[in-house]
Amino acid sequence: MTSPEKKTFRINKTKILTALIYAGLLWFIFAVLIMPNLNTVVSVVYQDGAFTTSPFVRLFGSARATQALRNSFILAPALSVTVGIVGIFIVLATEYFDIKGAKILRLGYMTSLIYSGIILVSGYRFMYGANGFLTNILASIFPNFNTGWFQGFWAVLFVMTFATTGNHLIFLRTSIRSVDFQTIEAAKNLGASQFTILRRVVLPVLTPSLLAVTVFTFYIGLNATSAPLLVGGPDFQTINPMILTFSRTVGSRDLAALMALILGLASIVLIMIMAQLEKRGHYLSVSKVKTTMVKQKISNPIANILVHIVAYGLFVVYMAPVVMVTLFSFTDASAIATRTFSIDSLTLENYINVFTRASGYRPIVISIMFSFIAAAVVGLLIILVCRMITKYKGKLSSFVEYAFMIPWLLPSVLIAIGLVMAFNQPRWYMFNTVLTGTMIIMIMAYVIIRIPFTLRITRAAFFSLDDSLEDAAKNLGAKAMYTFFIVLLPIIMPTVLAVFALNFNFLMTDFDTSVFLYHPLQLPLGVHVQILTNQDANADNVALTFVYAVIMMVVSSIVLYVVYGRGTRETKQ
Amino acid sequence: MINLRNITVNFGDFTALHGIDLNVGAGEFFTLLGPSGCGKTTTLRTITGFIKPDAGTVTVADKDITHMEIEKRNIGMVFQNYALFPTMSVFQNIAFGLKVKKIPKEEIKQRVEEIAKKVELEPHQMKRKVSQLSGGQQQRVAIARALVTSPSIICLDEPLSNLDAKLRVQLRNELKDLQRKFGITTVYVTHDQEEALTLSDRIAVFNHGKIEQIGAPDEVYNFSSTEFVCNFVGDINKLSKGFLERVGANASHGVDVDKSCYIRLERVYVNNVAPRHLSTTAVVENSEYYGLYIKYTLNSQGDLIRVIEKNSGTPMYAMGEEVTISFSAENIMQF
Repeated sequence: MTSPEKKTFRINKTKILTALIYAGLLWFIFAVLIMPNLNTVVSVVYQDGAFTTSPFVRLFGSARATQALRNSFILAPALSVTVGIVGIFIVLATEYFDIKGAKILRLGYMTSLIYSGIILVSGYRFMYGANGFLTNILASIFPNFNTGWFQGFWAVLFVMTFATTGNHLIFLRTSIRSVDFQTIEAAKNLGASQFTILRRVVLPVLTPSLLAVTVFTFYIGLNATSAPLLVGGPDFQTINPMILTFSRTVGSRDLAALMALILGLASIVLIMIMAQLEKRGHYLSVSKVKTTMVKQKISNPIANILVHIVAYGLFVVYMAPVVMVTLFSFTDASAIATRTFSIDSLTLENYINVFTRASGYRPIVISIMFSFIAAAVVGLLIILVCRMITKYKGKLSSFVEYAFMIPWLLPSVLIAIGLVMAFNQPRWYMFNTVLTGTMIIMIMAYVIIRIPFTLRITRAAFFSLDDSLEDAAKNLGAKAMYTFFIVLLPIIMPTVLAVFALNFNFLMTDFDTSVFLYHPLQLPLGVHVQILTNQDANADNVALTFVYAVIMMVVSSIVLYVVYGRGTRETKQ
Repeated sequence: MINLRNITVNFGDFTALHGIDLNVGAGEFFTLLGPSGCGKTTTLRTITGFIKPDAGTVTVADKDITHMEIEKRNIGMVFQNYALFPTMSVFQNIAFGLKVKKIPKEEIKQRVEEIAKKVELEPHQMKRKVSQLSGGQQQRVAIARALVTSPSIICLDEPLSNLDAKLRVQLRNELKDLQRKFGITTVYVTHDQEEALTLSDRIAVFNHGKIEQIGAPDEVYNFSSTEFVCNFVGDINKLSKGFLERVGANASHGVDVDKSCYIRLERVYVNNVAPRHLSTTAVVENSEYYGLYIKYTLNSQGDLIRVIEKNSGTPMYAMGEEVTISFSAENIMQF
């Protein structure tokens, strides 16, 4: 029998622990999620002890800045259209129509999932840039060919189109697989043509996902960083590269902050639209017995040939940079410089350089370290948040839940600018520590930008836990902590590990956030690749970026296989 | 054994239990029966400690456990979906409660093996994940897990509701056998009146957070004390005042035609009028053939009377055929 004193002590211990966790979470919300962003707003409208409109006047008086704003709002809708066209086509070609070699095609299209961001842009530059592989071929055929052709709006649009169709592959593919084949058979039975079935039966089922992915693509277009930086040229810079330029000069940081806020506002509007679209939900099959999709043979032979040609043409576009980068990563500097491949030029020198020289492996090590720590911290933090919001229902836990959704509304550039501007001086809520230029601010930013994804997935895992499991453990005598660690955590562990792997993978090549926060002596991989790519006259540097690209493709492939590939196999079983 | 006194449970403005009183005897199979939202699960969860009552007391063997922590009550529980821990093996699931109590490993092994044998789980199944077991095997694991810690009581919350009809009947019988074998006091929650009638020693019929009747299955079925109980437990015909007057029922038969009057289907006879039976004619409107029995719907001047006839192999009554229906006034339940 427990003595009354002991009982009181135990109750207090639980309460104290809960209070401490809440205190920690509330500090995080206040100091990391709210104050830096509030500080950004204040820095724009309140300067030298008075309210001001000066940043607005200067921003809208600057031709470069307004052009950048205009460019972003041209790129975003254009990208939504091109990605929509290519995305829908590749999904239909691999999932709906009976196209020969669809599995190989799908693998080619899926390369955008493992080959993305700054590394992808550098690969496209190698293919189409001023001294690019294809540019050289074209220049040799047409002597007057403009070798600087791959620059500006169309180059950015081209690169980003093929970089962002991955979302269509993930989301539309799931939707198209959920189409009940009996509805297609029913339409056929009622005399509908193939085109009518596609337009009236299949596409309406895909519409909710399609709209959501389109809005998301618009969001990506607005937030474009690496593509305009590397292939935009002087005439096509967008908001993010301009924010980066402004943020590097102390006198124009308020302009950077204002541009980030404009981007943030646009993002909030887009996210609200996306949330509305999500609320509309998805079409649910009402069939009692659902049958799986059978691929449709295109009955018109000319259309069939045309679709095959376009499908394989796109395959080449997707695969060319990947193959070239991989191939040339095994060649010497002269082969890279001249973009000519020969067996004699094959070497492992580039890999040896990366793995033996500190300057080569250091960015990888730094990125692994930052990404690992950030992925682990955000994972643990969100587990804690989810446990609190599922176990303790009330106003406080609701506040915590909503507050942790703040990063969802903000683009990463605004988060980065907020952190830089807030913590470049001592702040009482950060224990008077200056964080700008430290490892902590990088990890902090990485954690914040991965909160929305981590929260969404982990929260879903927590809510899918059967309440009766906890009741059963309690009934069998287990305490709350024991129940959590022995019963509940092992159930959600596969999700937690998958989220960790995906976060790690994402952060390994992050450029958009790192470029605002990195320390010159601790260059993360994304920033390092950008610096090397800018010095493109040096073939050794290009070789290094290729090796990094191959390493990252291997890492991403492993992560995606472990997370999605195994899951798919288990589902099939 | 279990004694609930004046138990009241509120969920905000909604009162789920209105001063419930009930006693469950040692070794008894006691069922809480009622429709969804009637308070039966709330009562069970009050006994197990998952719900703290706003008023009243729960005593077990004369010991007040109203405010006792769940883990100290020594009450086993089998959940509706069994709540087996999916990441653990069958052995680990059964051993969980013993491990929490820090029982030595050897003893855990011995006790798990013993209980597994009693519930007829094969040794080779012990290493399997629970997801690899059939519904019946999962139920046995859930029962073994609840019993291995030697609880004084076992509570079962609709453990058969997620199973198909055939398996439900099979497991119902197994459950009764196990309860007899262990002789443990059992509180069972169900909304299935057939399940309650076949399994229980006694039944408490719940409605709107109150107990309408407590009694043995035959008592609840044959002598329902409220209109709700007679409607909820088993199938029944409501007899209109006009129909009763037509068959000549009156005070001399002990029938008050102004009350709500009911009669069970099997208490009405077709073309078999016994002395002193009340009778009238009717036309066969519908027949449903169930193999073991036939259910007829008979129309007596607009009053539909349903009747169950044992299938004796004689030809069925034809649709539209005129028959005589009769019944004893003693079998009329009046409220």
